[in-house]
Amino acid sequence: MRKIIHVDMDAFYASVEQRDDPSLRGRPVVVAWRGNRSVVCAASYEARKFGIRSAMPAVRAERLCPDAVFVPPDFTRYRAVSRAVREIFLRHTEHVEPLSLDEAYLDVTENLTGLPSATAVAQTIRAEIREELQLTASAGVAPNKFLAKLASDWKKPDGLFVIRPEQAQALIAPLPVGRVPGVGQVMERRLATLGLVRIGDLAVAEPDQLHRHFGRYGKRLHELAHGIDENPVSSDRARISVSAEDTFENDLPLSELEPHIRRMAARTWQAARKMDRAARTVVLKLKTSEFRILTRSITLTTAADSEQTLADRAVGLLARVELPDSVRYRLVGVGLSGFEAPSEAPLQPGLFSEQDASPED
Amino acid sequence: MKIQVGRNELLTALQAVVGVVERRQTLPVLANFLLEAKEDELIVTGTDLEMELIARATVQNLSPGKVTVPARKLFDICRGLPEGAEITLESGADRVTLKSGKSRFSLSALKADEFPAMGAVTGGRALVLKRTELKGLLEKTQFAMAQQDVRYYLNGLLIDGNAKRLRAVATDGHRLAFSEHVGDTGLTESVQAILPRKSVLELSRLLDNSDAEIRLVIGQGQVQIDIDVVRLTTKTIDGRFPDYERVIPEHGDKRVVADREILRKSLARTAILSNEKFRGVRLQLSEGSLKLQTHNPEHEEAEEEVEVGYAGGALEIGFNVNYLLDALGAIPGAEIVLELKNSDSSGLVYQSGDPSSKYVIMPMRL
Repeated sequence: MRKIIHVDMDAFYASVEQRDDPSLRGRPVVVAWRGNRSVVCAASYEARKFGIRSAMPAVRAERLCPDAVFVPPDFTRYRAVSRAVREIFLRHTEHVEPLSLDEAYLDVTENLTGLPSATAVAQTIRAEIREELQLTASAGVAPNKFLAKLASDWKKPDGLFVIRPEQAQALIAPLPVGRVPGVGQVMERRLATLGLVRIGDLAVAEPDQLHRHFGRYGKRLHELAHGIDENPVSSDRARISVSAEDTFENDLPLSELEPHIRRMAARTWQAARKMDRAARTVVLKLKTSEFRILTRSITLTTAADSEQTLADRAVGLLARVELPDSVRYRLVGVGLSGFEAPSEAPLQPGLFSEQDASPED
Repeated sequence: MKIQVGRNELLTALQAVVGVVERRQTLPVLANFLLEAKEDELIVTGTDLEMELIARATVQNLSPGKVTVPARKLFDICRGLPEGAEITLESGADRVTLKSGKSRFSLSALKADEFPAMGAVTGGRALVLKRTELKGLLEKTQFAMAQQDVRYYLNGLLIDGNAKRLRAVATDGHRLAFSEHVGDTGLTESVQAILPRKSVLELSRLLDNSDAEIRLVIGQGQVQIDIDVVRLTTKTIDGRFPDYERVIPEHGDKRVVADREILRKSLARTAILSNEKFRGVRLQLSEGSLKLQTHNPEHEEAEEEVEVGYAGGALEIGFNVNYLLDALGAIPGAEIVLELKNSDSSGLVYQSGDPSSKYVIMPMRL
């Protein structure tokens, strides 16, 4: 049996805004461009109390809650946070299928950290997201993608729900058919005319009848209603980053980190070589003795072509750590991300490595 | 202007210059040759603003003067006339008339003073060497020049000379070709200049393998070379060429000695089934043997084994097969040496016993 987790960030864009601007915390926040035709990209839970929902016209949202704070979306920042979330997923499994910036499926039938259960993995991921990114996520654990996605919605926000195979049918039977992926308003109306209103109705419907009305999708509806979904988690871009990190026995000052960074760079390079594709972004991660996590990254114009380049770039990122000299560090990590699609090319490194690089962060 | 000239004499001059005329121009006058009748010479000039070519032909000068005419058309007419024909060229108000036997052509003309001339390079440092020597340097390296690379200084060839030697270096960033001529150069100090790609190709076309000496004058931003009755003036590329000496590897401990022609043919055959875009070939070395392997997205595969002199232990390395073929094609001798260090480091190719030309190739991770 497979173990699938669906992770859904809570009110993602709005939460990022509230995290980064303390004055927004506790207030109804609507992420939307100003303008008559604009729609709500995200609404904080405070705003949702007023009935504001994603995809609602911004004008209507303003009418529902005149006191709401409207913030224009900043996708560059959301993408960066989304990447950080993905990094957390990738510590636990290579099989991550991002659906959008704020949700993803993870196949943790086998996990990389040795945690005893999928539930434990989901809890750890939620804790890491909270701790490292100061954001909350809801997670659903189930034997397949369909159920996992339903589960993540069960205890939202900041909740975890597990659907065990034997409970699945009973749990989903009372839900409206609209909760089945692919069933929109039109389909919902057509199903209603056949007397099929809840998922349980679909489960007991004649498969032939469903097939007659909906063709191949009818078969899928029937399966889903029985809690069956064989679709695999397709981590097409198999891995999006590779990294290695190490915690020291004694906390060290910044000036003593270089050899450790080089050591981690060597490990990361070994792992990256196995991926057989080129990566352009070098990431340095540090954790202070106070457990504050810093990351600095640089994206090169051409892929990092040697362990030397990776190590030099990672060490170079130390210059961008602006904490006082008195700070001690308990951990360093070196990562590579921004892998090029495998179809792009076998890696042909350049002769001249002093390529220009553009800083990020 | 009015001149009389033999068809062959004129054609030779036009042929020397026509290569610089682009098929599409930014200025109308750049599609034209400048013709100037002076004493008993006709001076033909063509330019693309970056390079200028001037050729001279001996003519019977009936009336001095200058005019510009459409270059390709004049060249095509002249080429189409029978050998040994006599040609009369005469300029009118806005026309140039060409007569030969019973043929008559009236070509549109532009004013000669609109023609942008580069002028002579003065105050430069002069380099003297045999034509065959310069041609050799160019032919052994020019194939490695980049084409339209954003690193514009790679879209050319570096001339690096001092009193005792002259080097030509070209690289596209993945492989590098280096060739050195040791001998008196006539230089009193070291000079460096990057010649643009097109100028290098034209220059190499104009040079023959004769022992006649040529002078190459390297001035500020320009280089000028006189070859017989042809003068090539080119702007140089203003940029810093990468430090090529740094990337030419020290002698690697894994040394392969191979018959150049056998290896070249094997590579050419395996290349047929390499990935058309990336051109990777895998080299597997073991005692006395070099195996070549390629495959492509259609799952077609090629394998060859070549007997080589090698005792450096097993090693596997990937290269762009074109880079290897280019290098082997530029080496004249029968035996080559391929020096390697490991699968991540660049390979060095040169003619056995003659490291005056060296080819550095970065491996490819296949």
